[in-house]
Amino acid sequence: MRDPRSGAIVVVLLAGAVVTASAQDSPFNVRGLGVPGRFESVRARATGGAFAAFDQLSVLSDVAVVDVASLTATAVGVASFLTDDLNGVRATRRTGRFPLFQVSGPLWHGVVLAGGFATYLDRSYRVVIKDTITLGGSGQAVTDNLSSDGGVTDIRVVAAKRVGRIAFGAGLHLLTGSARVVAQRLFTDTSAYRSVTQTDEVAFTGMGGSASAMLNLTRGLALTVYGRSDTRLSSQVRAATVAVNDLPITIGGAVRWQPAPEAAFAAAVTRRSWASAADSGAFNTTSWSAGAQLGSGSRPLRFGVRGGDLPFGPGGAPREFAVAAGTGLTLAGGRGVIDFTLERLRRTGGGLTETGWSVLFGLTVRP
Amino acid sequence: MKSFTRFAIVSATVATGVLACTEQITSPASCPDFCPGGQIVTVESLLTTAISRDSTFRGYVEAHRAFMLLAATLPGLDSRPIFQTAPIAPRLPINAGGDTTTGPIVVDSSRLTFTLLRRDTAAHNLRLALYRLPLGLDSTSTFAGTAPGFAGTPVRVVNLDSLFAKAGGRDSVTGDSVLSVDSVRHAVTFSLKFDTTQIPFVVADSGQMGIGVRIMADLPTSAAFASGEIGTGPEITWFLRVDSAGTLLQRPAQRRLARFDGFVFDPPPAALDSNLTIGGVPSARALLRIAVPRAIRDSSQIIRATLILVPVAPIPATPADSFFLQVNHVAADLGAKSPIALDTLGPESALFGPGLSDTIQIEVTSLLRFWQFDTTSATAVYLRLLALDRADSVNLDGSEGSTFTALRLYSSRTPAFRPSLRLTFVRRFKFGEP
Repeated sequence: MRDPRSGAIVVVLLAGAVVTASAQDSPFNVRGLGVPGRFESVRARATGGAFAAFDQLSVLSDVAVVDVASLTATAVGVASFLTDDLNGVRATRRTGRFPLFQVSGPLWHGVVLAGGFATYLDRSYRVVIKDTITLGGSGQAVTDNLSSDGGVTDIRVVAAKRVGRIAFGAGLHLLTGSARVVAQRLFTDTSAYRSVTQTDEVAFTGMGGSASAMLNLTRGLALTVYGRSDTRLSSQVRAATVAVNDLPITIGGAVRWQPAPEAAFAAAVTRRSWASAADSGAFNTTSWSAGAQLGSGSRPLRFGVRGGDLPFGPGGAPREFAVAAGTGLTLAGGRGVIDFTLERLRRTGGGLTETGWSVLFGLTVRP
Repeated sequence: MKSFTRFAIVSATVATGVLACTEQITSPASCPDFCPGGQIVTVESLLTTAISRDSTFRGYVEAHRAFMLLAATLPGLDSRPIFQTAPIAPRLPINAGGDTTTGPIVVDSSRLTFTLLRRDTAAHNLRLALYRLPLGLDSTSTFAGTAPGFAGTPVRVVNLDSLFAKAGGRDSVTGDSVLSVDSVRHAVTFSLKFDTTQIPFVVADSGQMGIGVRIMADLPTSAAFASGEIGTGPEITWFLRVDSAGTLLQRPAQRRLARFDGFVFDPPPAALDSNLTIGGVPSARALLRIAVPRAIRDSSQIIRATLILVPVAPIPATPADSFFLQVNHVAADLGAKSPIALDTLGPESALFGPGLSDTIQIEVTSLLRFWQFDTTSATAVYLRLLALDRADSVNLDGSEGSTFTALRLYSSRTPAFRPSLRLTFVRRFKFGEP
């Protein structure tokens, strides 16, 4: 008999802490629209995201929920410990986010419905700039703090249905969210110049649609293709539109091979047309992943790698590479699942190298 | 083993959850590669026409309302404090208790107490000459009207430098003494003794008496005494006894503040002209109306605002004077009768003295930021010249109408030197632009 209290503790923690939905922060968030979120559950993230297109708990492809047999809710939390090295200047950061939540369940006639939210773009950053400006004919030392806290969230409703060996899924996406932005200038000589702080809130809106299909080629081999098109992201400050940016078309595919019940392998590749999002500094991205899951369903071992591009950066698309591993714990006869993933990340671009560890935990409940 | 694994995973999850509730996200900055698209832009602008419809008005603080009684014996300026003592009862009860029988008082001597607030320390042998003046001194008394009283022999002439130099501040011969020295304000309170031949008690006047004061020194000099407006003005103390059928009974001394004090001076202040005149007696103020462009006032944040004023000529002031300009915004713009807003916003210039000819700059940042906050407030200010009373490391404290110095500044009628406003401001940050 397993102790149900352990699961209850985690539920309480999640209930008290889920306040925002966004991914880990990065200096790469500063430019362009930010860093895209990852539509992966904790267990899919442990495989580098390779299983995300087949994972019921992930939100990458709509069709993945087609095999959900009962009401299922899942949430993800991430804590990241990152180090930035910009031309020899190092800084460490610690961030915490709750980037994904989804509820899914069978509806009727084999149709499975799912809804939830996930981070679409992370716009959280804080930059401190020390400079000297000329005022009144003399140099004045200033410190600028520029920060943004928030992002764009993808609220989605999807449906999926299996027809023989093929399953189809489609979804509607409402992009919403906001970022609290602060621009502050502090003068070293406070006797002559007053500090100035400006704050505002940028609201984001947009729409999107997605579709996907999954084909079981053989008993152990499955193929998924997915696509998504988002319209434009409108940024508004005090009800006035200050920017409108094109959002990308996403296409991707993944293959899963399960030669034995306790061994599965997968790989995926995704292409996004981010270059149209901005006049400069925006690039189309390609990302890939490969991973495996070994062991029993109650105590599996997962591992994987992923790599690819980030859409916004100076000079060219920043690159990222990550390796991950994780496991899970089934509680209460399968009604509760805790997944745990440890990821090592490295991003490079524009002279900046970002490295760090991310600890992800996920809770899945099937009441 | 299973229990340990489960415990480890749950513990790690809980720890991650706790860590996820805090964050520290500061990144190293390298602009423009890793800086936001918008930048904080600071702009400096000299607004030469922001101040207009400026005028001078006189008569706010007159000599009899000033906090100081100004005395001066200077070339081209003669100022004489005058005051009239309050009456005392010419008869007092002979016995204590319910007996209402009274007897006439018999004065033995009297003392006059003054507080010297300011003097020219370069002029030695500062002497005080006191004159008896006819009763009836009031706000209409003039220099010419009181001149006959000063023409006679003074009641007493006291050398203040000698008195201040005596051990313990006490002159055992004359009975004069220094009562207190305020080291912060550099104020000296002293008491002068008079016998009944010098200051007799006139029963018909109930002891009321007009007194005039002139000062002299080895050099032309000036000084300022505290007035009754601040509670430490001239005061007379009568030492007396009561006559009870030929027996003189000792009674407590009776002390009275002056019922009127002020000063008369010659020549009268110069007539106002097209320039801005500030200060003098009666005090003059300049009313400046400030119009900050709406683009700055409504859409920017002011981080520094400096009011720039150009003197017409070097300031003619007495050597003992130290003063400063104070900027007071008005609660409502009613011209000469605009009331000063009751708040703590009162930007001040630096302390200055005679001979100043440089441009005067006053930081008015708080005021401009207040107007940005309260857009209904009248954007007009008075410029007042305040004579220094005391100064500490933070504040200057002074009073209006306590100096003869009249500062003359160019007005907007002189375009090349008109009052202007230098603003440093930050434009609205363009949030939301990638």
